[in-house]
Amino acid sequence: AGAPTAASPGREIQEEELRRFASRVASLLQGPELGPEAVDCLQRLHLTVAATKYPRRLDGKFVELLQTVLCSSKCPEQVQVLCAAILREMSPCNDLILSCDQIQDTKLLSLVSSILLAQGNKKGEVAAVGQRIVKVLERRLPEGQSARYILPVLSNVISLSPESLTEEQVNVVSKKMADWLRYASTQQGVAQPSGGFFSSPRTKQPGPVTEVDGAIATDFFTVLSVGQYHTQDQWLNVQAFSMLRSWLLCCGDKGLKTPKSDDRSGMDKSVMSTVSTLPTSSRLLPPKERLREKAFEYCQRLVEQSHRRPLKKDDADLQKACLIEAVTIMDIICKQDSSYVHRAASFLKVLHGRICGDATYARALLPIAQFFLNHSKVAAVDSDAIYRHLLTDIPAQLFHNASLAFEFVQFCKANSQLFTETSSVFRQSFPNLFKFLAWNSPPLISEFVDFLPSLLDAGTAIEIFHLLLDLPCLTAALDVQLRSAALPTSEKAASDPAVPPSTCLEAFRHPLYRSMFQHLLRAKSTSEDAPERLIPLRQLLGSLASSPRVVQCAETVPVLLELFFKVVAEFADGPLINQLVVLLLQRSDQLCEIPAFKDDVYRVLSSQLVVLCKLHPALIVELSTEILEFSGAVSNIQNKEAIFTHVVWAVGEYLSVCYDRRCTVEQVLRFFEALEAVLFEVTQLRPLPTTPGYPPRAISVLMATLTKLAARSQDLIPRVSMFLSKMRTFVQSPAVTSVYQEEDLEEILIRATELLNLLKMPSVAQVVFTPPVASTRFQREVNDSLPCALRMVTRLLEPTPGFMPG
Amino acid sequence: SRQVASQCRLLQSSSARPLSPQLPQLPDDPIPLQDAPGGLFQLPPGDPFPERVTVAWLSVVAIALALVCDPQENLSLAEITLRRLAPRLLHSLHLLGPGADVLLRPEVADGLLDRLLPHGEMLFLNQHFLQAVDREL
Repeated sequence: AGAPTAASPGREIQEEELRRFASRVASLLQGPELGPEAVDCLQRLHLTVAATKYPRRLDGKFVELLQTVLCSSKCPEQVQVLCAAILREMSPCNDLILSCDQIQDTKLLSLVSSILLAQGNKKGEVAAVGQRIVKVLERRLPEGQSARYILPVLSNVISLSPESLTEEQVNVVSKKMADWLRYASTQQGVAQPSGGFFSSPRTKQPGPVTEVDGAIATDFFTVLSVGQYHTQDQWLNVQAFSMLRSWLLCCGDKGLKTPKSDDRSGMDKSVMSTVSTLPTSSRLLPPKERLREKAFEYCQRLVEQSHRRPLKKDDADLQKACLIEAVTIMDIICKQDSSYVHRAASFLKVLHGRICGDATYARALLPIAQFFLNHSKVAAVDSDAIYRHLLTDIPAQLFHNASLAFEFVQFCKANSQLFTETSSVFRQSFPNLFKFLAWNSPPLISEFVDFLPSLLDAGTAIEIFHLLLDLPCLTAALDVQLRSAALPTSEKAASDPAVPPSTCLEAFRHPLYRSMFQHLLRAKSTSEDAPERLIPLRQLLGSLASSPRVVQCAETVPVLLELFFKVVAEFADGPLINQLVVLLLQRSDQLCEIPAFKDDVYRVLSSQLVVLCKLHPALIVELSTEILEFSGAVSNIQNKEAIFTHVVWAVGEYLSVCYDRRCTVEQVLRFFEALEAVLFEVTQLRPLPTTPGYPPRAISVLMATLTKLAARSQDLIPRVSMFLSKMRTFVQSPAVTSVYQEEDLEEILIRATELLNLLKMPSVAQVVFTPPVASTRFQREVNDSLPCALRMVTRLLEPTPGFMPG
Repeated sequence: SRQVASQCRLLQSSSARPLSPQLPQLPDDPIPLQDAPGGLFQLPPGDPFPERVTVAWLSVVAIALALVCDPQENLSLAEITLRRLAPRLLHSLHLLGPGADVLLRPEVADGLLDRLLPHGEMLFLNQHFLQAVDREL
C-alpha cells in the first residue's frame, strides 16, 4: 500500500505515504534476511528520493538504520550499494552518523567515503576521509583486501581539498606511489579460482607481461603493459598513474603547510642540480623527489610504448591518450624541478620529430608545444619550428577534427598573450585559427568569444573584420577543399580557363578562381586588402548557402561582429574608425549570399555605425564623399534598409559645425540636396505598379534629417516646409494606400506635421536640433528622441484633440 | 543535459546524417562505438557548475551521455571513457528497451561507474584490463 510504482515515479508521493513506505522498508531491513523484496523496496525508495528537487525528509532513525545496514558485515553487496546510493541522494544530510574511522574493509571504506565526500565538507569530512585512507595505506593490508578501491578516493580528496593531508602523509603516499609505478610485477597474474570459471585449477605458470604489439616486455610494468590476468600491484600501477597528474599538481610541489621544510628545500635543489646528469641512487631521495624521478621514467617509457603497433586496435586510442598524459606530466615535473628540463627537452624534440607527420598523433602536439613554451628558455632550445608547424600546418589539414579543434583553441586561450606579439608566428597565423570555428561552430563559438579580444588590435582589426564577414564563405570553401581532396586524381586536373566553372568543385581547380580560394583559405595574415576580388567566389559559394554547416557558421557571425566592434571601440583612433566605416559601407554590397545572414549582419553593422559616429562624429564630414554616395542611392533603401536608415540619421545628427569646424554651408547643402532627391524619388514620383513600397522608417528618417539640416541652414527651411506639406498628398494617393499599411502612413503624416510645425518656429527648431555638448539620454535612439521633442513642441503650437498630453 | 542535447542536434544536422527511425539490435558483446557522434564543449563558471568545466559527450542512438571534466583533465581519456561506458550501460540497463527499468536499478549503473570511473577518476585501462573489469562485473 502506498508504494510508488514505476509508472508514477514518486514525484507526487505525499509525506505520509513516504513515511509509511519508509517504515515498511525499515522493517524489511531489520528482518533476518535481506532478499529480493528488500532490494525492490530500496530501489523504489532511491527513485523517490532522487526524483524530487527538495530534500526529502526521511526520519532520522531511518537514516541511521540505513547507515547501520550499510556497514553491517552480513549485508549483501547489492543492498550496500543501494543504501549508499540513497544516502548520497540525500546529501547533505544532517542525520549522518557515518564515520570511516573503524572501517577495515576497503570496499566498504570506498562506499562510505563516497557518502561522506558528498556532504559538502561542513564538518571536515574530506580531511577525515583523507586521514583514514592514508592510515589504511600506511599499514600492510589484511589478506583479501586491496588498496585498489581506496586510491581513487584519495585522488578525490586531494582535488577537493589538498590541505587535508599533512606533509608527512603526502610523503607516505608519494613513496608508495613511486613503488607502485616502478616496481609492479612483470609477470602476468593468475585467474581467480572463486568464479568457478575454470573446472580445474591452472597449474601452468603465468608468463611475463607483453607490450601491446605482443613483444615480451623487457622493462617495468605500465598501463600499456598487457597480461591476461593481473596482480594487485599491477592494478595499483594503473591507478597510481591515473591519479598521478592530479597528485603532482596538488601535492607534488614544496610549499605545503609546514614552514620548516622550506629551510632545507634550497639546499636540496642545489644538491640535485649538481648531480642531475648522473643516475642518482633514488633511495637517497626524499619521497617527492623520488616520485618525480620514477614518474619521469614512467612517462619516458610510455612515450616509447606509444609507438608500437597494437594488436588490438582499440589500444591505439589509449596509446595516444597515454602519450598526451605523459608529456603533460613531464611538463609538470619540469615546472616543479627545473633540473629535468634538459632531459625532457631533448627527449620531446625527438618525439616531436617522430609524430609531427602523423595526423593520428596531432592532439599530442599541443602538450609538446606547451612544454616548449614553458621551458624553452631554460632548455635553450629553438622551438620555433615546432610552433610554426603547429600553427600553419595543423589547422589547415585537420580543422575538421572537432576534438582537436576544441583543444587547439583551448591552447590558444591559455597562451593568449603570445598572440598579442606582432611579429610572432602565433599572431601571424590567426586566419588559420578561424578555420576551426568555421567548421565546428556550435562548440567553438563561446571559446572564440573569449579568445577574439586577444587577437584584435589596430594592426589586425581590418583583416579580422573582413574575415568575420566572410566566415560562412570560409566554411563553404573548406567544404569544397575537402571534397576536392577526396576526388580521384584523374578528376583533379586544372580546368579550362576559358570556360567558366559551373560548380564550386570545378571552380576549385579553375585558374581564375584558384587564387581567390587560396586567399580565403590562407594560413597567414596578410596586409593585402582587396575584398572585392572575392566577389565572384562569394557568388559561386552561394550555392552552398543552405548547407547546415554553413548556416551554423553564419549564425555565429553577428555575435562575433558585435564583440569585434565592442573591443575595437576601446582602442580605435579617428583614422581607423574612418577606415572601418568606409569598409562597412563597401562590404554591405559584398556579403555571402545567405538571406538571414545578410539581415543579421546589416542589423549589427547599422547599430555599430551609430557607435562609431558617436566615438568620432567628425567622420561624417571626413567621409562625406562615401556617405553622400551611399545615402544618395535609392536602391540602398530597399536592399540595406537598416544601414541606410542609420546613415541618414547619423547625417542629421552629426553634420554640424558643432562636431566639426570644417562643416561648411556648402557641405550641408550638398547633403541636403542628395537626400531631398532621394525622398523625392521615394514619395513624389509616380510609383510603378510593381514598386513594393519603401520602408516607412526610411521615409521618416529622411524627413527628420532634412528638417534638422534646414534648422541649421535656415534658408533651406522653405524648401523642406513645402516638401513636408506635400506629404499629405503622398499618403492619400491611391497608388500609395494600396501598397503601404494604414498605420505606417498615419505615422508618416503625423511626423511630417510635427516637423512642419517645428519649422514654423525656426529658433526653437534650432535649439531642439542643435546637438548638446553633453548628450542626454533623450538623444540616444534613432527615432525615439525626436518624437519626444517634437510632440512637446507641437503640443505648444497646436493643442488639438489628437495630441492630448498623457 | 540541455546543452548536450542542443550540441548533439547541431552536430547531427551539420553532418547531415539521416536518423534511422528503428532501434537497431544490440550485439551481445560490448562494442566500442567509434563512429557515434560526440564532441567537446565548455560551460562557463556558474552555469550550472560553480567552476568552469569541459563536457565530453557521446550520442548513441537515442541516448546521450555526458562526462563533466575539470579543465585540466585529459580529454582524450574522457572520450575513451565515454565510449567504453556507453555500450556497457546500454547493455546492462537495457536502455533501449521499453519500460522505465533503468530508473529502478541504480546499483547497476553505480556498479559500472564504480569500476570504470571510480569516484569520478578516469582510468588508463588497456583492452586487457578492460576485459578484466568486464569479468568482474
